[in-house]
Amino acid sequence: MTDPFETLAQHVAERVLDLIVHALDVNALLQRVDVNALVGRIDMNALLDHVDIDSHVLRKVDVNALLDRVDVTALLDRADINALLDRVDVDALLSRVDVNDLVRRVDMDTLVEQTDLGAVIARSSGGAASEALDAARSQAVGLDQFIDRWMQRALRRKHPAPSAPPALLNGRAGP
Amino acid sequence: MTTGTHAARSVTSQGHYAGSVSRFLAYAIDITVSSAVFTLALAAISYVAKVVTGHEVSWNKGNAVVAAIFVAWEFLYFGYSWAASGKTIGMAVLGIRVVMADGTTIEPRRGALRALVFPVSFLLCGLGFLGILVQRERRALHDLIAGTAVIYAWDARAARLRFLARAAEQTAPSPVRGPGQQHPDDEDAERDHQD
Repeated sequence: MTDPFETLAQHVAERVLDLIVHALDVNALLQRVDVNALVGRIDMNALLDHVDIDSHVLRKVDVNALLDRVDVTALLDRADINALLDRVDVDALLSRVDVNDLVRRVDMDTLVEQTDLGAVIARSSGGAASEALDAARSQAVGLDQFIDRWMQRALRRKHPAPSAPPALLNGRAGP
Repeated sequence: MTTGTHAARSVTSQGHYAGSVSRFLAYAIDITVSSAVFTLALAAISYVAKVVTGHEVSWNKGNAVVAAIFVAWEFLYFGYSWAASGKTIGMAVLGIRVVMADGTTIEPRRGALRALVFPVSFLLCGLGFLGILVQRERRALHDLIAGTAVIYAWDARAARLRFLARAAEQTAPSPVRGPGQQHPDDEDAERDHQD
């Protein structure tokens, strides 16, 4: 059971508080508050830590609509590309690029066939002698393979013979 | 079949065991070259001897001394070539090379040993060479004794690019060439026309 005096005191306090609040001019009070000073006392970082940007903010933002409103040309006009490039460490950038992989992805056949590179190679590759040598070697390899196919059939080998020595098959040593 | 398609197929053959035709052709070139050099050397010696002594010196090929010198010269020709670079002149022409059986670069003493045992393949009525056809690694008897193998070493990839380049040059001007860029041959033709 509560004390009757305490209950009475509680009622009196609530009544007094109502009277004070009704007597106060809240607008006038707020005009006297220095909002900037108040904001300056707020720890924004701690506040932002409490905000779940991914789930609450970004989901509600229509990024496409936002980007539609951005004038990219005007933005680029304002950007100093040269200054930006001056800040790029090209050496560090290139060291991260696998040039060998890049070259492997180049279709050399198409490159030679469709560009002036082909003409350069043709003029610098020794002409008729080089062409004759290529032809002779190619014909010899063709005949080698022809004879080899027939020998394989004649010998009726169940398992194919190794095509190259182990070190060359594994790519450990060049010919 | 054109050279280009052959070369395209040969790209995959680089480093593979060389076949009988390539090896035979290389050997034929080597015998021709070494015999020609030997004959020229004998002729040069005869000429010098004639100039110095005033007497005609003739070499009989059936002479045991000449035959012995010829054999020694052949051993020197093949042995030095294999020991030094793994290939003779004929092998260089056909784009093949002698390597160790495991594919690594040939050791000089193995090259010399190969030249030393090379006649053994001949002495058995040529049966020693049968290994090139029937042995799984296309190794002749002298290869098995010396622990060597013969592989294709020519850059077939480069040959294919050269073929494509020649084919491209023979066809129409490059589509990549800009309107202001003319082929030098076109410029020459235009100049001739103006003249």
